[in-house]
Amino acid sequence: MTSTTLSPVTLHSPNAARRVLNVARLHLVNRVQIIVQPWLIMSFIFAISLLIGWIVRVSLSPADFAEANLQFGGAFGFFLIYMLVLAVMAINQTFPFAQSYSVTRRDFYVGTVLTFLGLSVAYSILITFLGWIEDLTNGWGARVALFSPDYFSSNLAERLFVTVVLFVFFLMTGMAIASVYMRWRVNGMLIFFGVLTLILVGLAALATFTEQWPTVGTWFAAMGLTGVVAWTLVPSALCTVAGYLLLRKATPRN
Amino acid sequence: MTAAIEVNSLTRRFGALRAVDDISFTIDEGTICGLLGRNGAGKTTLMQLLTGQDFASAGTIRVFGHSPVENARVLQNVCFIKESQKYPEDFRVKHVMTSAPWFFSNWDAEFAEQLTEEFRLPLGRKIKKLSRGQLSSVGVIIGLASRAPLTFFDEPYLGLDALARQLFYDRLLEDYAKHPRTVVLSTHLIDEVSNLLEHVLVIDDGRIIIDDSADNLRGSATTVVGTSEAVERFAQSRNVLHLDRIGGICSATLDALSPDDKHAAVAAGLELSSVSLQQLIIHKTSSLTSETELSA
Repeated sequence: MTSTTLSPVTLHSPNAARRVLNVARLHLVNRVQIIVQPWLIMSFIFAISLLIGWIVRVSLSPADFAEANLQFGGAFGFFLIYMLVLAVMAINQTFPFAQSYSVTRRDFYVGTVLTFLGLSVAYSILITFLGWIEDLTNGWGARVALFSPDYFSSNLAERLFVTVVLFVFFLMTGMAIASVYMRWRVNGMLIFFGVLTLILVGLAALATFTEQWPTVGTWFAAMGLTGVVAWTLVPSALCTVAGYLLLRKATPRN
Repeated sequence: MTAAIEVNSLTRRFGALRAVDDISFTIDEGTICGLLGRNGAGKTTLMQLLTGQDFASAGTIRVFGHSPVENARVLQNVCFIKESQKYPEDFRVKHVMTSAPWFFSNWDAEFAEQLTEEFRLPLGRKIKKLSRGQLSSVGVIIGLASRAPLTFFDEPYLGLDALARQLFYDRLLEDYAKHPRTVVLSTHLIDEVSNLLEHVLVIDDGRIIIDDSADNLRGSATTVVGTSEAVERFAQSRNVLHLDRIGGICSATLDALSPDDKHAAVAAGLELSSVSLQQLIIHKTSSLTSETELSA
């Protein structure tokens, strides 16, 4: 048919760092979902908060307004739920797609975890920075607390730590749960949530019967926000490992 | 010739179902091989096993001499876009074309661009908004432009119009001639691909029922047509794959006729015609089924 001859296929060892980096690029190739959309929603929440702040300012006397404190801390929570969804979709959709690009499960997982760690740090820096400006400008001149809610420490480094750790917790939990689904589908989901509920009810029962609720309350109070959030590093680490062990044997199916 | 794929006693069970049932075969490097079979015969499961997407219950798979499972050295030479491939939410065609070169080292961007134009694929459109034919052409373009040493095309014709089918046929042959590689074409539309194939694997109910070169298969069966009496007399001592009767006319598909046999048939006043690959596979599959039914 032709004079071109078949060049024998030689298997050369691929560059591991390059492969992992490509997985990160794959996650970021469509920026709408991972960057544009959450910040667009955040901008809208920000605009609405300022508007409400302005309405309050107009309707209150200057003396009363000086006392006002508009807490919109929930806006920050939206980001965390968004991260959970992002992590679920990474496993549920990008994983099967990466398999068609002949990416190994290991490379995919390492690349995905690194992408999410990077995302957590980048978004946390931005949120902490916005919170810092918020503090300096007396809540954007409207006494609005959006990025720097009252329950946050005034120490910026501590705030950055809490934000990063919360981001990581929601991302890694999302990945682990989605990996259960990828491995065992609906049955896996049912059993997982069933067992999780039983464990939580069991712990609650244990605290009730041993009359240890006050101890639990004291523990949370003593830990403070930063302490409690720091403890989520344990389930985050467990989820990260569990996610890999689950995905290692998972098959993308349609 | 070295083997691109070597499969030995491969089985994949899902509970009681044996989607792939103790099969063995090899596919030589540098050939176009058809993986044919009915819907649900086990084609996709087999390809998922060959590309490390699924795990064997028993048996061994060697791709370029090594197991493909979690083996980047092997997998970076493989391209397999499933017919029912899932894409990330809100992915557009351009996102696929941008990211594919990162994973396939032989990617030819110019060729991909040319194909995108020829298949009239709208780059800005979301994947989930594409028609079935356009979705197939995404897989076809990645498969062709990636130039992976082992490329799988899974139902590439699904939803493609006549022009696009011809285009795929032409581009595959052209590019295969310029850049020889191993191609596995999986489809249940046998006649569409039969002229492309050098080797044919037919899978039915998880088992390989035909594993032969396309040339052998094309020459392997002949249909003789004539009066019932003449056909029956001629077919008597021969292996009949299929028999049709309309009035006093009879047509029989016979296995493996020698040149002498053919002369004898013509002398007996019978008309000879060749059997298409599709017809042959239908006859072979159905005769196998009836044999199994008889023995059961």
